[in-house]
Amino acid sequence: MTDHPPDDPGPDDATALAGELALRVLPPEEEARARAREATDPAFAAEVEAWNGQLAGLAEAIAPVQPSAGVWPRVEAGLSGAGSAANDHGRAGFWRAWAFGSTSLLAASLVALAVLVARPAPPPLVQPSPAGGLTRVATLSLESGAPAVTLAYDTVTGHLFIAPTRALSGDVGVPHLWLVRPDGAGVQLVGAIDGSAASRRTLDAVLAGAAGQAPAMAISMEAPGHTPAADKPDGPVVASGELQAL
Amino acid sequence: MASMLTREELALALARAGQGDRSAFRTVYEATSAKLLGVCLRILSDRQLAEDVLQDTYITVWTKASTFDATRASPITWLVTIARNRSIDRLRAAAPMRRSVPVEDAHELADSAPLASEAIETTEGIGRLHLCLDTLEDRVRDAIRTAFLEGVTYDALASRDNVPLGTMKSWIRRGLLRLRNCLES
Repeated sequence: MTDHPPDDPGPDDATALAGELALRVLPPEEEARARAREATDPAFAAEVEAWNGQLAGLAEAIAPVQPSAGVWPRVEAGLSGAGSAANDHGRAGFWRAWAFGSTSLLAASLVALAVLVARPAPPPLVQPSPAGGLTRVATLSLESGAPAVTLAYDTVTGHLFIAPTRALSGDVGVPHLWLVRPDGAGVQLVGAIDGSAASRRTLDAVLAGAAGQAPAMAISMEAPGHTPAADKPDGPVVASGELQAL
Repeated sequence: MASMLTREELALALARAGQGDRSAFRTVYEATSAKLLGVCLRILSDRQLAEDVLQDTYITVWTKASTFDATRASPITWLVTIARNRSIDRLRAAAPMRRSVPVEDAHELADSAPLASEAIETTEGIGRLHLCLDTLEDRVRDAIRTAFLEGVTYDALASRDNVPLGTMKSWIRRGLLRLRNCLES
């Protein structure tokens, strides 16, 4: 007996994927890809939201547990840092707080990024990582699973190292790099990248804060000469991957 | 103390919190924090970690409250989703697949817990969900429920049930589609 039907085509496929994302059953790479889609495809995002609403009823079976008295004061103390929703227009305050945190730390060091790029080649040069920097890495893969870009990001210095494979060359579009924001809050443009050779750039304070939090990054292909809005790609999202601490 | 709030009162408090009203935010916390800690604790199985994530959750709630739209989501659903996602993020950042309770035990745990959210949720939607879940095969329903309650991925579900990964995926995908059809019929 076979238990594996052919892949559901069409809208059912998006519905099931949105359900899998809401349920959180996907493995990390697939989840990152689905998050990127959620951030860029409003119809898909609406599906995820619908599933969240429908599945949340399962939480009914969970008994409430009274938190310790110490939790509320800690929450309250955290509010000033987070900025009130009203004063700062929602997440802007949150991001600003983050960005300030990052710039004040802008004193340290360069991290050995070359190591990551050489993966999966045999052990190349290894330089010790100076203290303080938390390096985040991502491999952005095409839908097929083929790696398209390897990224390494230093949260202290804001340095971002971008190493494309050959997967993106030959495309007439210009690859643009995006940060996927946490909690399904959309994407933020980092900028156009060179799809044919390794490059590096330093993120400004605002982007650096966002990159420290982003669960994933993605690549869209934009028409040559066209710059999309900062929060929405116009071309197709061709690659994405989870951003993880090294 | 668990304040008794209707869904409308909770939505209103959340909207006020979104405008920067701290006392309304406190009301939201009083009415929902026990429920959300239950959710966090179920996924993380560690009281201190769960309270950490709970704290995080409410700070997120405060910054995002102005984006809550009562016409599109129920407030408790919105809050549970944030708490659950935060907990799963923390679980996976710490130690993937560290839990290995067999699915039957998890199911039993889930079912033995009292129903406790009536004070903050209209129950019609939930009744419908359970009706539709009951149309699924037992093993499929259990897998979906375990995935939700414990925040585990396909891999863990498959190894617990001792079935191939592909089988678990197709159970859940088909189960979700069937659930959706039922919920919308």
